[in-house]
Amino acid sequence: MSFRRAVVFIVSLFSAVGAWADDEDSGYLDVQSGSLMGLVHASYGAVFAERHNVMVGVGYVPKLSYHREMMLYSLRYRYDHSASWDIAGMAFKPFSVGTGLLIGDHSDLFLQLPDKYPEGYYTPTAFRIVFNYQASLQVTPQLNAYFDMSILDVGLIGYVREPEFFNDNYDYLGLEGIANWGFGARYVF
Amino acid sequence: MFFNMKALKAKFTFLLVFVFVLTGCDYEVSPWSTDADCSNRVSIDANIKRLKEYEAQVGERDTYQVAIISDPQQYPGTFDDIIKHVNTLPEVDFILLTGDLADTGVKAEYEWVCKVMEKAKQPIFAVIGNHDALAFGKDIWAKVFGPEDYSFTYQNSKFIAYNDNKYEFENVPDRDWLAQETQGDETRDYTMVFSHIPPWDFELTLSQELKDMGVDLGVHGHEHSFDYWQLTGVQLPHYVVSSTKKKGFGILSINPSGYTLENCTNKTCEVAQVRNRDFEL
Repeated sequence: MSFRRAVVFIVSLFSAVGAWADDEDSGYLDVQSGSLMGLVHASYGAVFAERHNVMVGVGYVPKLSYHREMMLYSLRYRYDHSASWDIAGMAFKPFSVGTGLLIGDHSDLFLQLPDKYPEGYYTPTAFRIVFNYQASLQVTPQLNAYFDMSILDVGLIGYVREPEFFNDNYDYLGLEGIANWGFGARYVF
Repeated sequence: MFFNMKALKAKFTFLLVFVFVLTGCDYEVSPWSTDADCSNRVSIDANIKRLKEYEAQVGERDTYQVAIISDPQQYPGTFDDIIKHVNTLPEVDFILLTGDLADTGVKAEYEWVCKVMEKAKQPIFAVIGNHDALAFGKDIWAKVFGPEDYSFTYQNSKFIAYNDNKYEFENVPDRDWLAQETQGDETRDYTMVFSHIPPWDFELTLSQELKDMGVDLGVHGHEHSFDYWQLTGVQLPHYVVSSTKKKGFGILSINPSGYTLENCTNKTCEVAQVRNRDFEL
């Protein structure tokens, strides 16, 4: 029931996002792989005030040797910095940062604490907050490809709380211990 | 021209850093993957084997110590500090890690803990905690560490790890298995059990059952503070070690005259005094 509510909430946001967007042409379809968002994650996004983006999406992970089959739902925000470099005639935009709520849909995960636990015993296991950085390349006026690096909430908390541990045990200022990568493309309608 | 070159260098440097950082990241399809990147060095089987080899190497030792660490969840750095300190203690022959290695059950948390466990000079034995079984933690546990219930013998004492996480598992602890494992206690110096959760308040009869099986000491975590108690009518001591977050760990010292327990930090230790708890069984 909780997951149904989450899906209804996210689907409702699809229409809301479209309604709030800058204009009718500012919507886009975003398809991503990896970076904690699923083997494939499709989102509808819209631009606000030129550089602010809101995306709602649905992802999927098939059954793998290291993963249960599950659906993922997301609500994300991203800020695109105006910096842009010309590379071989294409605009390279190196700085976008964002955050999002990720919900995993599986019977072993929960949004509401099951009755068997005392109240407040655990925080929900089905949703996580993801922080991400993107660098994108404007391939055509309508098509944009990007690399994404994401950090999970527990990773960020751990890194801020005990930076020495990550610095001492992982490369790239310790980011190797908490960062994940993915890639994707956006098609502007 | 000069400024263009400077901008070009900046872009090149950025791209270089970008590519390097990307190569350091993992491609992950979700936070809930179960393929934690832990070496076999942390598995229970590997550590039992290491301890046997060590025992064969040192022969009979009537005096030795066991370090007890618990609940390193979300504090891998503090856990790292404790392991580094324990590595300097020459009398510690192995380490018991009494559960809650992870907090939310996502694999990244296991990987950080594994990174630290792999540094332990001594064999290290983890027992599953309630947080370790959240999300898909049970799968990760099975792949990385192995069984939830297991035992090993060292210097004529038996150490038995049992799963007692009632909310996440059914029919725990496995009393039949415990009864089987504790058989023959009269021939041993000690029979000691370790689990994440001390006997639950609504099931303190477990202490009596363990006593009847011949158990001499219970070692636990979960409560995030030091405690050492026995039920007045049972007289089976249960030692509870503080959490890693509080920088606490325990030292169990076994010698010909008996055993003692100490509540420690990296700076100091003090002898734990057992207290009696009145409880009508």
